[in-house]
Amino acid sequence: MKLRIAHLYPDLLNLYGDIGNITTLTKRCTWRGIDIATDQIYGNEPIHFSDYDLIFLGGGSDREQLLVRDKLIKMKSEITSYVENGGVLLAVCGGYQLLGSYYKLKDETIKGLDILNIQTEIGQGRLIGDIVIKNEKFGTIVGFENHGGRTFINDHTPLGRVIYGNGNNDTESEKFEGVMYKNVIATYLHGSLLPKNPKLADHIIKLMLEQRGESGELSPLDDTAENEAHSYIVNRFAHN
Amino acid sequence: MRKILAIWAAKLAIAGSKLLGKNGSSTPGTIALKICPDILSKLSGDIGKDIVAVWGTNGKTTTNNMILTVLENQGSTVVCNKVGSNMLSGVVTAFIDYATLGGKVKADYACLEMDEAYARIILKYVTPTKIVITNLFRDQMDRYGEIDTTIEYIKEALGKAEDSLLVLNGDDPLTASLGLDHKNTVYYGISENLGLNLNETREGRYCRVCGNELHYDFYQYGQLGKYHCDKCGFSRPAPNYDGSNIQSEDYVSFDVNGVHVDLPCKGIYNIYNALAAYAFADKCGIPSDKIAEGLQKYKGQAGRMEEFTIKGKLVVFNLAKNPASFNRSISNILSEKRTKDVVIGINDNDPDGNDVSWLWDVDFEQLLDTSVKSCTATGIRSKDMAVRLKYCDIPKENITEDGNVKAAIMNAVNGSGERVYIVVNYTLLFSTKKILQELEEEYK
Repeated sequence: MKLRIAHLYPDLLNLYGDIGNITTLTKRCTWRGIDIATDQIYGNEPIHFSDYDLIFLGGGSDREQLLVRDKLIKMKSEITSYVENGGVLLAVCGGYQLLGSYYKLKDETIKGLDILNIQTEIGQGRLIGDIVIKNEKFGTIVGFENHGGRTFINDHTPLGRVIYGNGNNDTESEKFEGVMYKNVIATYLHGSLLPKNPKLADHIIKLMLEQRGESGELSPLDDTAENEAHSYIVNRFAHN
Repeated sequence: MRKILAIWAAKLAIAGSKLLGKNGSSTPGTIALKICPDILSKLSGDIGKDIVAVWGTNGKTTTNNMILTVLENQGSTVVCNKVGSNMLSGVVTAFIDYATLGGKVKADYACLEMDEAYARIILKYVTPTKIVITNLFRDQMDRYGEIDTTIEYIKEALGKAEDSLLVLNGDDPLTASLGLDHKNTVYYGISENLGLNLNETREGRYCRVCGNELHYDFYQYGQLGKYHCDKCGFSRPAPNYDGSNIQSEDYVSFDVNGVHVDLPCKGIYNIYNALAAYAFADKCGIPSDKIAEGLQKYKGQAGRMEEFTIKGKLVVFNLAKNPASFNRSISNILSEKRTKDVVIGINDNDPDGNDVSWLWDVDFEQLLDTSVKSCTATGIRSKDMAVRLKYCDIPKENITEDGNVKAAIMNAVNGSGERVYIVVNYTLLFSTKKILQELEEEYK
């Protein structure tokens, strides 16, 4: 058995060390003897979603995001059925915004893939800085955010409650970050996201295995270095 | 009168900071600007010949200092912000340092390194006769948002300098595209394939004119190479200054327009920097043999492959600020075949960029080389760096994490390698240099 990741348009969506997420998933599988490979998807080649155990969408500039939207909108029904059938999808920053109904810029509105009932609107200035959120299951999740868009997630379950930083937007009184929907994890967090959040990384691997009908039991790894890097951020920014 | 007052106050501040042993600062300029906001337009008007601005992500300080060396070598007087204080206040400080107490700047040239995002502000007060742009890579992302924003800022600045001569790196499609709308432009580049074959992030693979994917015959490094667009015809401009016969075994040398240039420094990227300086000097009418002679006298700046000896071991110190310059530094380290211990220092202060995501874009996997005996992660974000090294599959016992820079350096010096290489990012530069000088003294 070999797990397969599709890294969508790494040449266009590559702003925030996104490759670190792929590196982390790959190593954490390899160290456990789980076979894993990543296909980098470029240009206009067709994507057979059912061949993949994880679809990864990173962040890009507004211009590049529009190019990606044009490619993905042609595959809207395939992506939707992949997600509705429990396919695992990780979307960071620009990729997160694309999953919603639209991203409203100053002069134009980029229509999204409508996979999530979320809407994004450009706001005054960018929300930039280290961020710490808390998820009921994984505890704290740390990262860095840098986005001009403000995202409103309606009734969706957030990835976590913001302890430090902004999260989805800077207007709502209760601050939340990201969305979890079926096996979709969508977030503004990079830094990169997964290297310093090994529990979240393993959760994604577990979902990938379970979708294959395999056991999601993972053998433990020595996460001392990862946990120290994680705690450093929590202690520096969200120390109570 | 305000001008004179501003100069006196700022000169006092310069003297003060020199007394305190501080390395070049922008504070005197800030003081002067408070007293006389348009002081720069007043002072820069005195420059007799050329004012050159040097922009770009990597190689700005080196290129600017190469230009300075060439100009001084032929006897010219030059105003220069040589320590890399490259925002408005830093440029003002350089002029004030040079000005007489009566407020005159008697210099032939000014060579001014400018932060490319601030150039649009600096150019309100001073119009360069020539502008050199070295390259555009991803850098300090959280400050600029993204590279598109940087390019917009540069275009805004260029709008204020329509008559200036642009000297552009034609091998970089992002930089070269800036010449499309500018009437007076020369390009430098390297037409022969250097065959470096690095695995790294390539920034500008899409055509700036039509958005189509660029076709590359070959890459030099990053997005530098020989490219063209199949759709709209945008292509690498034929260089007016074409580096050839490139030698980089130890110190680098090259030929340009029939002139041989030897550089007293290492690293392929220094050929690009020297070509930029050469093109500028040639356009100033300086004889080619004088330019080559000047370039040969160039002395590296702090943290540009600077050498120290600690406990009898050669320690090579280098600054790197972003994925492109880190990849260059690591290639340099590995071009030395002797065994070595490596220290990587990462800070996340504002000038470094608060976001360290880019560590994952650097090809640190190169450090898996058998000549690398150990890697030590240091700086404010030493723990992030240690995780990055772990995910390169570098054996656990060969990775040390120590936020204390001095301890990290000594860990490497006491390692089993024949040499020590230290690469740090911006705000670690001067503090690390000081530590290295102290350690060199201590173990003499």
